[in-house]
Amino acid sequence: MARIFWVTCPGCGDRFYCHTQDLRHTTWRLRCPYCEREFDQEESPKIEE
Amino acid sequence: MECLSRRKGAGGDTVALATLTGAPETGSVSAGQALSLRAFLERLERESAVDVVHVTEAVNPDRFEVTAVLQRLEDLDRFPLVVFDRPTALDGQSSGIPLVTNVFASRARCARALGLGPEHEGLELSLEYARREARRLAPAVIPREQAPVKAIVQRGDEVDLKQFPVVRHHRMDGGPYIDMTPVMRDPDSGAYNVAFQRNQVKGPRKLGIHMSPRHNWQIARKYEQAGLPTPVAVVVGHHPAFYIGALNVSPFDADDYEVIGAIANQPLRLTPSETWGDDFLVPADAEIVIEGEIPPGVREVEGPFGEFPGTYGPQRVRWVIDVKAVTRRRDAIYQDTFVGHREVSILGAFPKEGSLYNRIKAVVPGVRGVHLPNSGVGRFHAYISLDKRFEGEPQQAALIALGNVDFLKHVIVVDADDIDVYREDQVLWALATRVQAGRDVQVLCGVKGSALDPSQDEEGAGDKLIVDATRPLRHPFEARIEVPRDAVAAVDLARLIPPDQLARLGLGPLS
Repeated sequence: MARIFWVTCPGCGDRFYCHTQDLRHTTWRLRCPYCEREFDQEESPKIEE
Repeated sequence: MECLSRRKGAGGDTVALATLTGAPETGSVSAGQALSLRAFLERLERESAVDVVHVTEAVNPDRFEVTAVLQRLEDLDRFPLVVFDRPTALDGQSSGIPLVTNVFASRARCARALGLGPEHEGLELSLEYARREARRLAPAVIPREQAPVKAIVQRGDEVDLKQFPVVRHHRMDGGPYIDMTPVMRDPDSGAYNVAFQRNQVKGPRKLGIHMSPRHNWQIARKYEQAGLPTPVAVVVGHHPAFYIGALNVSPFDADDYEVIGAIANQPLRLTPSETWGDDFLVPADAEIVIEGEIPPGVREVEGPFGEFPGTYGPQRVRWVIDVKAVTRRRDAIYQDTFVGHREVSILGAFPKEGSLYNRIKAVVPGVRGVHLPNSGVGRFHAYISLDKRFEGEPQQAALIALGNVDFLKHVIVVDADDIDVYREDQVLWALATRVQAGRDVQVLCGVKGSALDPSQDEEGAGDKLIVDATRPLRHPFEARIEVPRDAVAAVDLARLIPPDQLARLGLGPLS
């Protein structure tokens, strides 16, 4: 499997996960699948990896 | 390879040969009629109405109201083809386009789609697929004005994907997804490739596309390395034989339009695309075709998406498709598959079972059955039955299976004379009563597998398991209990049990 990290959306507080190699420690803005907010991962209140 | 087993000994008694019964019907799918989804639906409703249900109330596919119905039915162990007559479009308006899904959720329906009787849903279906997969049938090209899919043509700003009833499938999905088949064309050989891939709706004229490193990925890579956009046509709605045919395992330079024709048993009708004309042909009898280009060097965030293993593929950085045109039938039907559920498991299974059977039989002639069960999402488990003549044959058969299908992880080999590979309870009974792990189990570590297998430690590599659940040959072994078959066959339940009680068992009325 791909390595993943769980991220908490700073807007709605729900959690989803991302591909570590593609997205962790990059400048890509993540997109919450629940509220559609786009955010920098530094804005997330909690990242689990 | 790490060999952890102590082999069962050789010698002793042999088991009786099982007999394959029933020759498949090999007539054309729909002789004299163009290959189309609507023709299949009409025939299915006429010949097997129990296979189809209509949801006549309005539903919103973007709010899980389609997949919630499918999940409720699945919870009840029911897998009909479902037609949603009044789905809402992504723009919130009534789409006016019926939505069809769960088409492939029954092997019997897949057999019908290939022109076989539903009773041939077992090995006959798999072997017939393998026979046709080896052939090629040239497509027939027809002018645009004769192509049903050109009834309505929208180009450029006229296109709005939000007019379609696109489905949001699972809770964590990154959005609504079109999950049918993009077609691409290899710039070197000219061969077309058709593959199931997820396409996230990102805007009225933009899709995100996820590609694993297989044929379409290779094609897009060639275009990108040349600094060119990759032409792509997403086929949304066609006869199920089109999609079943797209699952062939052929070399990269094989033309999928030719293989699909062979598997459907009639030439696929094609027509020039709106965007590239004769340089890129599209299926003339499709319901909807979305034409677009994958721009080189462009990536966006895409996903997550509920994938075939029943887990979410993570949010990633993937390609996009700039949509150039949409063509469709005037009364188009939108088609979807319920990814991560039974229909996608079945699609993963029978198109591979026949070729596996043939390859195993070339070396282990006693093989009698090969099945990739739904419990292994049609990809990760294989059950093989054989009439064992020599010890070692189960391992040989398993290694051939593992060597030919990289997705496979766990292979259980059973005796053909008393275990049916389509009956998982029987396979697991053999596992329970004929296996000692230290003797009959072998593990191969660090072998290529599916990148979507969530249990892997490293992306793309995992472990393989071989279980020999056959009886040993070297010494007498306890027999399975059995009510005499002739006594069972002589029972007439309708005479012995009152009709109302039979009905309560779901068995009546019996003729």
